[in-house]
This record gives sequence, structure tokens and C-alpha cells, in this order.
Amino acid sequence: MAHEIKPNLKYTDDHEWALLEGDVLTFGITDFAQSSLGDIVFVEFPEIGSMLEKGNPCGVIESIKSVNDLFSPASGEVLEVNENVSDSPENINQNAFGSWLVKIKITNKTEFDQLMNANDYKVHCEKIS
Amino acid sequence: MELKKTSLYHEHIQLKAKMAPFAGFDMPLQYSSVKEEVFAVRRNCGMFDVSHMGEFFVTGKDALKFVDNFMTNDFINAGPNKAVYSPICRENGTVVDDHISYKIHDQKILICVNASNMEKDWNWLSKNVGKFDCKLENKSDDYSLIALQGPKSDAILKKIHLLPPGDFPYYSVKESERNNYKYIISKTGYTGEDGVEIFCSHDFAKILWKEFLQEGVVPCGLASRDVLRLEVCFPLYGHELNDEVTPLDSALKWTVKMDKANFIGKNALANYSPRYNLVKLSIEKGIPRAGYSILDSNNNNIGVVTSGGYSPVLERGIALAHIEKDRFPKNKLFKIQIRDKMYDTEYHLKPFVVGGHK
Repeated sequence: MAHEIKPNLKYTDDHEWALLEGDVLTFGITDFAQSSLGDIVFVEFPEIGSMLEKGNPCGVIESIKSVNDLFSPASGEVLEVNENVSDSPENINQNAFGSWLVKIKITNKTEFDQLMNANDYKVHCEKIS
Repeated sequence: MELKKTSLYHEHIQLKAKMAPFAGFDMPLQYSSVKEEVFAVRRNCGMFDVSHMGEFFVTGKDALKFVDNFMTNDFINAGPNKAVYSPICRENGTVVDDHISYKIHDQKILICVNASNMEKDWNWLSKNVGKFDCKLENKSDDYSLIALQGPKSDAILKKIHLLPPGDFPYYSVKESERNNYKYIISKTGYTGEDGVEIFCSHDFAKILWKEFLQEGVVPCGLASRDVLRLEVCFPLYGHELNDEVTPLDSALKWTVKMDKANFIGKNALANYSPRYNLVKLSIEKGIPRAGYSILDSNNNNIGVVTSGGYSPVLERGIALAHIEKDRFPKNKLFKIQIRDKMYDTEYHLKPFVVGGHK
């Protein structure tokens, strides 16, 4: 399956991408994820101000056929969610890396360092496709 | 157990379809995108490989009587070359399956049943055929089935000389032939759109599939088929119908003809008070799924979603739901519980989408 991977981002096993700027971690789902899900029609976000734990479900991405959990790449407090994506979930299909979902204030930066880099993620995707 | 393959399996692989097991077959779930496939059928033309479905043939003197006896709908009085949709019930009124019988003529009838119920249907019909002077045969392995659906299907069929001569209205069926290939063609489908289903040999199916592709017909998978049938509110066995409910629990009173002299289940259905109303609900945001709870305005649990999904045409979540009859709210306000949230719904009296079938 042809899909894009951005070299400057970090990745989770569950196909989230993550970007750290200062102590603000922004994440979304990868191009690989959107392509496997198909037409995305609904996104449910965590509450602003809620505390997320690394690897725990924090939202839901629904395609026409399936309901899928969104997992937080790191622990932290929810600062902002992308309402544009909530109004137009198909944006994720069109541009997964341009459609961030959640911004959190990261509690522990080593959690970010432990995420996969682009090369490791590429291998991870090859293994399952 | 190894999955069965239809005659068009290699075409699906070539088209890079996403495959999934369904009723023991490896079937195409989607090719491009479910949305695109839905719109192809609503606006242009799409095709489905539905060869997994079961084809039984009844031939002989009592064929008509036998079929009329096992179905709740009226088959005797349906005209020649007519197809009839009907539940098949047990003596106690519960539903063995829903199906379409095709009156090719009075002594040759095609019974098309759900793939997932084929064995159960075969056992049930075999058990009941004994007292009739006719032969029941399972020819499912001999037949491929392609559904061509959408407003442009008629023009395509004319162009490649597949339409039988003469009038060919909705729910009619004819035996036909092209270049020595025999086929049965019916004006039926599961999308609400104009279109046909073609029962034919595996060889002819491969030829037709290629011809349809050349005509620009969009291959569609089982995922879009499910969305299309839900938009027009056609029931699906295992969802609106099952071994525990009667047709009267799922808005199918129109298929139960109590003025018929007799049919299996008649006595039970005559005295049956339905447990459920089947309602049509939509929500602006959020996707209802089968199994989600329906609540009234006081948050009492009053029912369950039988089929749910997203309608690309309405751009809303849509659902069919069983509401317990004695808890049906007079104010007709229904909420759907999705995970830990309650969503207000719109109550629909008519199907979500009106198909363009003629």
C-alpha cells in the first residue's frame, strides 16, 4: 500500500503521528491509518482540560465501516482539539499529516523520545501490510 | 475452513479490492471508496458480484403451490414473469429467511436466498417440499450472480444487448440468451435504484464483468451494498430479521397476506401481537451502529439499533431500530446512546433516500 511518511515526525505502533514543539505535543493519525480505514466520517475528541495517558484510548475515529480508537502518543493535559476536522472528517483522508487532531501539554518528554522515528515506522508498516 | 471463491475472484484481486470473509466466501468489501461506490450507484451505474447468494430451483406441476405455501407474500396471484420478495416463516411465525422467488414460468421457479442462511433454508424447504409434486434443487454452485444497479444501467444493458425484448418493469424476470449464453435476468436489486440482477454461468459472468468495466460501470463491494440498502431501508437478515422475530416486528406487514388460503406461519401470525416497532432515525453527528441503545426523553432504555451507519447522500448517521412496542414514546422523541453520550435523533416516516427504480 503506497502511503506517505514524514521524516520530521515521531510515530506510535497504533499509527498516530506526533510533533513536539516546546512542551506542546500535537498528534493525528498517519496516512497509512487513513488509507486502511477508508472514508472517515466521524471523529470524537477528548475533553479539553482532561488528562491523557500514553497509549490509552482518548478519542474515536469512525470510517463508514468501522469504529476505531485514537490513542494518545504521550501523557499530558488536552489543550486544544481540531474542530475543523470535526466538521469535515474527510480532511483526514485528503491530508492526514495536515489534519492534526489533538494538542496536549506533555508531562514527560522522554515519552516522546521513546516513539518510533520515520524509518522504524516505515518498517513497522511494511510488516503489517 | 478454507474460504470459497466466486467465479469473479481473480477480477476482484486484479482490481485490488479489499477482501473479507462473508458467509464462507472471500468477498470484495470495497474497491475504491465506499462513498464513491455509493454515489456511482445513485447517480450512474455500479456492479456487485453477489455470486455467494443461494439459488434453488423448483420445477414441476406443483412448483407454484409449493412456493406460495412457504412464503408469507402472494406468489400465486403475481403475474407471469414476476419476482416476489417475501419472508419465509416457521409455523410459529418466526423468520427462517427473507428472499425473492422468481416466476420464470408456473413450473419453473428460482428461489434466491441469503448466503448466510443457505443451509438453513435448504433444510427448511426440503422438509416442506415432500407433500408437493415438484422437484427442489440447489444449484448455487452452478450460478454466478451480478447485480448491475443505477440510473444508467438500462442504457448499458441495451448497448450490449442484454435486455430481453418487450416491457421489463420493476420486479419482473425473464430467461434470455446472448451468443449461446443463457441467463436469467430480473429487474431487482438491493439498492432502490433502477437495475437488474443477472443469474448466469461462471463463464458468462466473467465476460459480463469485463464488458461492464469497459462501459465504465464502477465495481462496488459489500460495504457500499450495505449502505445503499440501509439508505432505502431494506431489511437485512441478522439485523432487522432473525430467528426470534416475525415479519410483523420489522415493518413487513405488507409482505404477510392474511387473505391467502394458507401459508406456513399463517395461524401464528393471525394471533400475533408484535413486540417491536421498526423505526427510522437519523442524527446530525455521530454514527449509530447495530447494538447501540435507544432511549426515550426520560433516558429509559426502550430499544436497540438493528442497522446503523453513515449515509453519504444525507451526510448524516442513519439507523433502523427495534423499539419495544409497549414502551413506544407518544412524543416520538428518541435518543441514541453512542459510547457515553446521548444523541438526539430525527424521526423519519419515509426511507432516508428514495431510490430511482422504475
